[in-house]
Amino acid sequence: MKVTRFEGGRSTAIRALVVAVAGLGLTLLGGFFDPQRALQAYHVAFVYWAGIAVGALIVNMAFQAAKARWYVVVRRVLETIPLSSALFLVLFVPVLLGMGHLFPWVDPSHLEGELRRLAEHRRPYLNAPFFALRTAGYFGLWIAVSHLLHGWSTRQDTEGGAALTLKQRRLGAGALPFVGLAMTFAAFDWQMSLDLHLFSTIFGLYYFAGSFLAAFAVLILAVNASRAEGLPRALMNANHDHSLGKWMLAFVSFWAYIAFSQYLLMWIANLPEEVPWYLARSKTAWLPVGIFLAVFHFIVPFFVLLSRGLKRNPRALSFMAVWILIVHYVDVYWVMMPALRHDPEHGIAPHWTDLTALVGVGAAAVAFVVWRMRGRAGVPVGDPFLEESLRYEPS
Amino acid sequence: MASAATWVLAEFKDEAALCAAARRLRELGQQRLDAHSPVPLHGIDEALGLRKSPVPLIALIGGVAGVAGGYLMQWWMNAVDFPINVANRGFHSPPTNIPITFETGVLLASLSIVFGLFALCGFPRTHHPVFETEGFRTASVDALWLSAEVKAEDAEPVSRELEKLGAVQVSRVPEGL
Repeated sequence: MKVTRFEGGRSTAIRALVVAVAGLGLTLLGGFFDPQRALQAYHVAFVYWAGIAVGALIVNMAFQAAKARWYVVVRRVLETIPLSSALFLVLFVPVLLGMGHLFPWVDPSHLEGELRRLAEHRRPYLNAPFFALRTAGYFGLWIAVSHLLHGWSTRQDTEGGAALTLKQRRLGAGALPFVGLAMTFAAFDWQMSLDLHLFSTIFGLYYFAGSFLAAFAVLILAVNASRAEGLPRALMNANHDHSLGKWMLAFVSFWAYIAFSQYLLMWIANLPEEVPWYLARSKTAWLPVGIFLAVFHFIVPFFVLLSRGLKRNPRALSFMAVWILIVHYVDVYWVMMPALRHDPEHGIAPHWTDLTALVGVGAAAVAFVVWRMRGRAGVPVGDPFLEESLRYEPS
Repeated sequence: MASAATWVLAEFKDEAALCAAARRLRELGQQRLDAHSPVPLHGIDEALGLRKSPVPLIALIGGVAGVAGGYLMQWWMNAVDFPINVANRGFHSPPTNIPITFETGVLLASLSIVFGLFALCGFPRTHHPVFETEGFRTASVDALWLSAEVKAEDAEPVSRELEKLGAVQVSRVPEGL
């Protein structure tokens, strides 16, 4: 197959960069008026988008581990998205600088009673230097794995052959447990430690479930964004759309399964040190948000995604992908904000920096990924299974 | 019965010829067609004019019945028939009912798929007259076969048509064989 490099996307990347600078600049401006609130908004946006990048990495690794062939046509997009983990390492710096405003354990002397005891007990793990070192470690692993997979795949564009496919499969399978564990610990560090009263071993899986689902939504939107020659869309058939839709259906269900499991275990044990996390989200103005998630993050998308016709229609599937990205943000917001603000009774109180931070970080990631797509083939043209993927027709 | 059915069996060497023959027979008004092959045939669904499988609908009905039945069963047992106070949670306590509701939903959905498929495939029919044709056994080995269930008086013209369409061999199996 002829190697056609993708040289478009220049204006998209520039426009996304402008939006990113504007969004992040406005968030910074908000920081001058209300530093704590702007930091909270930024931290939520960071966790949301970074999770999607790692989710995309895990999607690719899981498919490599399973020796999946159908997805080869969209793989270049899927392996370029996680390269943005290098960007997220940089975007983590504001969180690190402002961690005193975000995490209660940074300075236990501000805390009282039980919370202070917990913070001091966890000091050996939850302290600023070790926290920074761990996050650097997670990103080190994600950056290394994503660059190796992307590097081998792009090398194969010109070299061809099966050896580079084997390397990707071996690394995909072999590094999967470590990448998954890094994501679990990142969930513990970035989200769960915001509330010293949250004890949930399933929490990492909860972050993973939502992020993995949102990664499929981003992948669907990314491949549907352009019909330019050499990009996957022009080569895909309805069976590819169907499978991507099936993955969204499966992980809408998986997210609900994990979310409910976490709730049920805490609700049924009813322990005084565990229930405050749910009380803050059910006996307050946050209750409608929880109900919204049950209905619009599970029940409605589940029944809508059951439709075969919808999954085979790229436009309808893109609509559902946007839907998923919105409800996933509501989910992350619902998990983090009541803990960040320590005042769940005072209501949801959204702030304009929530929007600027979300758009700013997201646009930065889009600009980065589109820029990294340029100059390479838009599909892995050297992959021996590409032709099989193009003919994909599950029987 | 107006006229007994006859099965016309035709062997083809490649999938394009078989699909073309299936399309031609449908143009001639023969709707009861089937294809027999040891490997998946691309485009055969469209060539045979198969409608969308009813299995997903059967699974959905089974799943919804499982969810409703599982939930109602627990509500009736725990809140109506034999109320026991467990940790003061209330006799009808929705979260405790969800795991069982999920399980019964999955169970009935999967059983509906299995038995629905059995029913659609004509199970437990163990024998069919076409098995009497010696040559048809190659459908499980290396040959592609098209079968058409036609009225007895149509068997002759359909056979000739299939030969014209490139069938390697054509056999006719009358119903009461």
